[in-house]
Amino acid sequence: MATTTSGVYIHVIEDVVSKVREEFINNGGPGESVLSELQGIWETKMMQAGVLSGPIDRSLVQRPTPGGGPLTHDLNVPYEGTEEYETPTAEMLFPPTPLQTPLPGTADNSSLYNIPTGSSDYNTPGTENGSNADTESMLFIAATAFSMDKLNPRLDVNVAYEPERGNSNPQFTQDLFVPPSGKRKRDDSSAQYQNGGYIPQQDGARDAMPKANLDGNAFCITFVSDRKVPRDFTCSSSNIPQVDGPMPDAYDEMLSTPNIYSYQGPAEDFNDARTPAPNEIQTSTPVAVQNDIIEDDDDDELDDLESGEDMNTQHLVLAQFDKVTRTKSRWKCNLKNGIMHINDKDILFNKALGEFDF
Amino acid sequence: MATFELYRRSTIGMCLTETLDEMVQSGTLSPELAIQVLVQFDKSMTEALESQVKTKVSIKGHLHTYRFCDNVWTFILQDAMFKIDDRQENVSRVKIVACDSKLLTQ
Repeated sequence: MATTTSGVYIHVIEDVVSKVREEFINNGGPGESVLSELQGIWETKMMQAGVLSGPIDRSLVQRPTPGGGPLTHDLNVPYEGTEEYETPTAEMLFPPTPLQTPLPGTADNSSLYNIPTGSSDYNTPGTENGSNADTESMLFIAATAFSMDKLNPRLDVNVAYEPERGNSNPQFTQDLFVPPSGKRKRDDSSAQYQNGGYIPQQDGARDAMPKANLDGNAFCITFVSDRKVPRDFTCSSSNIPQVDGPMPDAYDEMLSTPNIYSYQGPAEDFNDARTPAPNEIQTSTPVAVQNDIIEDDDDDELDDLESGEDMNTQHLVLAQFDKVTRTKSRWKCNLKNGIMHINDKDILFNKALGEFDF
Repeated sequence: MATFELYRRSTIGMCLTETLDEMVQSGTLSPELAIQVLVQFDKSMTEALESQVKTKVSIKGHLHTYRFCDNVWTFILQDAMFKIDDRQENVSRVKIVACDSKLLTQ
């Protein structure tokens, strides 16, 4: 049993990592590497804060390294885990190779765009290769010389499409085909689905209103709005972005203290309400407010104290209370399971008895 | 199961929060998974303090401010003295935040 503060912290870190490992590995989680990175950064920060003394004893938990790991982690995408997070580059989206013969469930599909379209979105009765292959073929075709002949057999439409009319010039490709510049292009990929007749759509609400054109051999759907909508965002209309406040409600629902750390998702254009960074969070009812009501003398004194204390992190005790009593101006409290940060030291306690004079 | 989020304000909690924040910002981690990690941290920290720590502490000082809101006591002490086992620490000002331990068992 760890008795030192550092030992307890190490135990907590290992415990947390081992218990969330399943979430990271299963159900299409980010994977073991991300978990390791999380642990590494966490421990590094703690060493920098001076509360963790290295070297760290790893005898507590031995992480199993699966032999066929990467291939078995990502069940939704049969693809190398590292590439899953790569930003699609021009080479990935529009490789110089000619049109490839799509294979069912081909791994290359995920390299084109990182949107897990799910092959079940649109079934293709006309083809045997699955809708993933169709999407891939669409993007390839947009990059290379356009050929209707090659496209037709895989044309995946939910509406009846006209047979070949011999027109092989895609008029619609001019506007929408923009080579990606190497930045995050998840949002651009939606604009490139100009052919094939279906739009893989990940988000629940509709994006910009689609306008369908039946032009030649191609059934194309263009979006009325030119604006690039981030893939992660559901936007009901092209003109009115709407994001309501911080992302999760889970934090608020689980609130047990007045001090909420609300998690913000990746920075988005429409997100106006941002909670402050964690280290800026003050207590929900700051002392200064109360001081204004009670006494002015103490107000000044406290301000001086606060400014002087800023350089040393505020001394803080976080604990649970069993009982708090008061007799006249004498307060007594029984605390337990606490973490104290005083005089730049972290001290843990199981029980604490406080006696204060008001 | 409800958890006490107050331990996230400790050094270890803040380090974890910053780490998760960086990873979410970079897109390495989803916010939902980050929340799950934090919740697990709450549970692990509570359990570790319950089972692994045996230190007893005595606190004395002048109570400058007290507050009880949402079942959370907040005390601000001045000129506080902490007796930890066989040693002693003195601080000019300390804030104590305490949640009701009975809430966890409900």
